[in-house]
Amino acid sequence: MSNSKRIALVLRIVLGCVWLYAAYTKLRQPWLVFAMSIDAYRLLPEWAVLTIARTLPWLELVIGILLIAGIAMRYVAILGTIILMIFFGVMLSAYTRGLGIDCGCFGLGDALSWKTLVRDGSLLLAAAGLVYLCWKRRPSDRFSS
Amino acid sequence: MMPFNLAIACSLMLAVSAIAAEPGKAIGSAVAPITIELFSDFQCPHCKELHDETIGPLINEFVNRNRVFLVRRYYPLPSHAYAKPAAYLACAAEKIGKYNEVSNLLYRTQETWGANGKVEETVCSILKPDEAKRIRLLAKDPAVISEVDKDKALGDAQKITQTPTMIISHNGKSYPIPGAVSYSMLKRFLDDMLGQ
Repeated sequence: MSNSKRIALVLRIVLGCVWLYAAYTKLRQPWLVFAMSIDAYRLLPEWAVLTIARTLPWLELVIGILLIAGIAMRYVAILGTIILMIFFGVMLSAYTRGLGIDCGCFGLGDALSWKTLVRDGSLLLAAAGLVYLCWKRRPSDRFSS
Repeated sequence: MMPFNLAIACSLMLAVSAIAAEPGKAIGSAVAPITIELFSDFQCPHCKELHDETIGPLINEFVNRNRVFLVRRYYPLPSHAYAKPAAYLACAAEKIGKYNEVSNLLYRTQETWGANGKVEETVCSILKPDEAKRIRLLAKDPAVISEVDKDKALGDAQKITQTPTMIISHNGKSYPIPGAVSYSMLKRFLDDMLGQ
């Protein structure tokens, strides 16, 4: 196994676990609690808040499973990175507006702060790294680890 | 046996209505199915947003209908220079039955006293001279100071790091909800909990 394959394996397992944990923390609480976390960002209309609150935890669960299983890696890695970019942008916007809210990333009590920005920024870098490693590999490696 | 039961029922009803009646820091019926503890800071702009947009309809539709017991707690943040004096004055106002008037005024004029620091003058401007005198004295009373500190300590114990934060409790479960949540979203959540 080459070095880049090893790094890709570590990244997808770590990121997969993070996605699964994020899904678990949201799914174990009433979905409207997550809806209120999204609403507190004051960016989206109510219909969008409700739709995201209903669907995002399940999407996170699917991404986590696919990353760990190594299925459709190139596309899942891109999807995960796009979602993390959106999260990071939204969090940065709320932070610069001085909103005292939960980031909503890992359930209740996860206050938005420079620490959460550093954490999510690091996850975004890791996800971008995984995209790079997946796409630079040979076509025969595309759909497996 | 019947008159005895009736007497107990009447005294229970009186006790509940006594809890429900007094408009102070805690409002509504203490036996309501949902309790909301609201930790806020009078100098925090998002607390003003929550107060202006969400708390009014919450009181009208849930607290006044005995579905929610609302307890407003002081949580002055160290980053706000006049939050503590404002909390002492509101707590003092509570002692003379003027909590709602003073807290509404503090939020309405937040930008002004937040900039010039004239919290006491602002509060006293809506009071009669004798009330203003009492509030000035009460705001320096150790009992009032300790009550504000107790609320702050209670928030710290519940790991509150930001304002506003609502701790919504129902059926033994508690959900800390920070931020200026819109009323429609809060209503959905409360209706959902009451429907369970």
